[in-house]
Amino acid sequence: MKRRDYLRAAGVAGALGLAGCTGDGGTTESTTATTTTTGSTTAGTTGTASASRTLTVATYPSYVDGSDSPGAWLKERFEAAHDDVTVEWSTPTSGSSNINEYIQRAKQGAAIDADVYVGLNTDELVRVDQELDTQLFATVRDDLTHAADVKEGLNVDPKGRALPYDTGYVTPVVDATTLEVVPETFDDLLQSRYRGDLLAENAQSSDTGKAFLLHTIHQQGADGYLDYWRDLLDNDVRVLDSWDAAYNAYTKGEAPMVVSYSTAKVYAANQGEDLDKYQVAFLNDEGYANPESMAVFSGSERRELATAFVDFLLSEEAQRTVPQLNYQSPATTTGSLSGNFAKYNEEPANPVTFTYDELAGNVTEWVEEWARLVAQH
Amino acid sequence: MGTTGRTTLSARLYALADRIGARGAFLGTLAVLVVVFYYPVGTVLFAAFSDDGALSLAPLWATLTDPFYFGVLSGVIADPASAPGALVGWVEAGFPAVRTGLFGFTAYLAVLGTACAVLVGLPGAYVLARYEFPGRETIRSLTVVPFVLPAIMVAVGFTTMFGTHGTLNDVLSVVGLRVDVAFSLPLVVAALTFYNAPLVTRFVVAAADTVDVRAVETARTLGAPRWRAFLDVVAPQLFPSFLASVLLVFVFDFMAFPIVLALGGLRLATVEVWIYSLAANLDLGEAAALAVLEAAVTLGVTYLYLRYERRGGSGTAGARVERVPLVGPPSLGRLLAAAYAVVAAVLYVGPLASMVAESLTRAGGFSLANYAFLLAQQLGTGGARPTVAVQNSLLFAVGAVALAVPMGVSIAVVTNRSGRLARVGGALLMAPLAVSGVVTGIGLLQGLVFGVDVLGHHIAVTGPVAIVAAHAVGGYPFVVRNVAPLLARVDDDLVAAARTLGAGPARAFRDVTLPLVAPGVVAGAAFAFAISVGEFNATIVLARDTASYTMPVALERYLSNPSVGPYLGPAAAMGTVLLCVTAVSFVVVERLGGRWEP
Repeated sequence: MKRRDYLRAAGVAGALGLAGCTGDGGTTESTTATTTTTGSTTAGTTGTASASRTLTVATYPSYVDGSDSPGAWLKERFEAAHDDVTVEWSTPTSGSSNINEYIQRAKQGAAIDADVYVGLNTDELVRVDQELDTQLFATVRDDLTHAADVKEGLNVDPKGRALPYDTGYVTPVVDATTLEVVPETFDDLLQSRYRGDLLAENAQSSDTGKAFLLHTIHQQGADGYLDYWRDLLDNDVRVLDSWDAAYNAYTKGEAPMVVSYSTAKVYAANQGEDLDKYQVAFLNDEGYANPESMAVFSGSERRELATAFVDFLLSEEAQRTVPQLNYQSPATTTGSLSGNFAKYNEEPANPVTFTYDELAGNVTEWVEEWARLVAQH
Repeated sequence: MGTTGRTTLSARLYALADRIGARGAFLGTLAVLVVVFYYPVGTVLFAAFSDDGALSLAPLWATLTDPFYFGVLSGVIADPASAPGALVGWVEAGFPAVRTGLFGFTAYLAVLGTACAVLVGLPGAYVLARYEFPGRETIRSLTVVPFVLPAIMVAVGFTTMFGTHGTLNDVLSVVGLRVDVAFSLPLVVAALTFYNAPLVTRFVVAAADTVDVRAVETARTLGAPRWRAFLDVVAPQLFPSFLASVLLVFVFDFMAFPIVLALGGLRLATVEVWIYSLAANLDLGEAAALAVLEAAVTLGVTYLYLRYERRGGSGTAGARVERVPLVGPPSLGRLLAAAYAVVAAVLYVGPLASMVAESLTRAGGFSLANYAFLLAQQLGTGGARPTVAVQNSLLFAVGAVALAVPMGVSIAVVTNRSGRLARVGGALLMAPLAVSGVVTGIGLLQGLVFGVDVLGHHIAVTGPVAIVAAHAVGGYPFVVRNVAPLLARVDDDLVAAARTLGAGPARAFRDVTLPLVAPGVVAGAAFAFAISVGEFNATIVLARDTASYTMPVALERYLSNPSVGPYLGPAAAMGTVLLCVTAVSFVVVERLGGRWEP
């Protein structure tokens, strides 16, 4: 539902326009029954209804910034494959969680002017369902041709709404030029030789921080993770706000370990840096998979086109290219990597992750208890 | 003929201004505030007073009695009768450390930050007010620059400057010293000082510019030594402005948020950090309750301040105290000024230079890659273009100043009276500073961006006008607090004399009052400009597309651009652009402002 009519405020014109939306108040796009636009073919290079269509895809800014971004590639290829279709990216707010804006819109009955959402973490899907009584996203898995290609263990949504399109593996990255012995297990991190050595991120606001916390819960259990963190904090682990802040402090030599992604060496190799400074340390041979998912808004009037977009992102062609444009690993078995990425990307022997069902009803409390522990320590 | 025409026109304008009056301007100000502040924020804060839709104090009560937030105080609030027993137990136990909770820690951090801001800011004010030296005006203009820098860039600068392997340690190691402050409270306090000491400096210098030299000379003639004249004549006139700056610094420190997390981490979490986390988790009820209690603290402090604002000495005049040359025979004052210059260089020049150096570095070596990235953004499609961001920032800032100055002056005039009601009103009108920025952002999103239905029409407000209004709302409290203390000192007899001579209220205000408070207006305008340029929360919410992005928003978008990998260089390059653009504009703004003779 696209409503961009302009409301001119009296006496204000030109560049300083007061952009607004007009419309019949009270329509709640997200809650009304879905309107399926039949009559337009999705695979077609031709189309009987040749009216130009715009597919609005909401995502986070860095997914679409720049001409070599995943977003730019997707737009170009998808538009080339579908006549008279324009892909318009929408990046509503900045920050780690854009989904909040759509949850709040659905709650207040404000218009949702996007068809597809790209960049959903599993815990965010949990939050969507926790906050809303209605369905924000439609079930589309059964309408996809490539859904079966998704890697085992990455199928996060039992209801078939969210489909993972890439994944990162979150793990400590270690400067092996400073540390004589690289830690190999979670228990190793508690040794006094690593006192003050680890930089982590805030699980409330950072994806890497949350993934690492979830990994410790996966490892130590919901009953044991707080004790483990108490020991970690006693060993002077630092919990900075964002991955940016933590990684910057790490590269400045403030600490020899940082919670980051298993792609660390790819960046380093691209820049010709000393690879020993970016050693990936999978603890207990595990890495926490943090799949990024996409979903179709149930209020979309272009359901078929939106579904086709989701299917396209799962295709072999897209999975060979798009994940590594985003510095992530492919989500399907058909995907592959190339160049420095193929050479230096590391994947854990045992990827672990929590499914939707495991997170539902738990994750909010887990994170809150953890945050209170850290803040009081 | 021409002269007559102009006279008639200006006479008409004055007549119009007389009719509108300060009250009319004040009502206009209130209207803006209702639309872009009180209404949107109210919709969010309402959750603090509602329990499943019914009016209730339960959310506030739950927060007040949570030891995590209020420490031992929560137990006393929940059960006042237990207090004496607990106190006895505490004494018997030998005064062990008391758990103070999140609010206690936040207050502690704010007190430390405020004390350091005074320690660094006051000597700066003394040097700028007392001494004359080349570049004095420029340095005074530049004091506002730290205000506009995004926290992540300050964090980068501080890590590079004060880190374990930072520049300071490199220098200190020559004499065998080292400081270890990474991720600790001292570093966070230093960063808060970096942001807020200039506030103290600016406020006090603006007040010093209005001190009447004749009063000082009278005191000296009567035999008072210089320190005595300062203490008895000058200090009382500076005190309200100084106190105003202390108040604002405390409020800012109490609400400190991104810089604390970036440099200290979650272990040093403040109330505002918690509001942010709760909001990110859409726990808006608890976030609202926290925000209400946070605002209760900041507004309470504001109210207390207002009791003292009008107690300063009276009398302002055009005859200003002469400054003495900074360069001259060594004296205690000059030596202290030199020592101060070293401190200022370490605290300000160090981190800023570090950020610039970061922008010229890639993978450990000198590189222009970060500026090439900016150029690519400029020429490419889809991303945030640097020049558009620069242009927007300047346009919005000019608009915000144009709106914030009349708003601030009208509020200062209308609330310029004693009495509890005026103080309560004055405190409430400072709310845009005192209410959580996170909550304000949510309010703008829910109240303005999502829109409301009025008479069957859906009205949503986004885009440049909304951004300018939001920036002005963020900036006018600085105008108020700069102008009000000076206004309180204006001799009512002067205004009365002008009125007797036939001047209307508007004319008397322009010709008599305004020149006397002009330094405050200019200082306030500079802050409003800085607030606008540095503002992030409201801008990101209201700018719905890249065409409305400002410099801090563009910088934020360059932070996590996957095409450049995990490097802060591009953001540092944008930060350097931000630094240069704001530095130049402050100098220009103040040159223009300095020439402004009402």
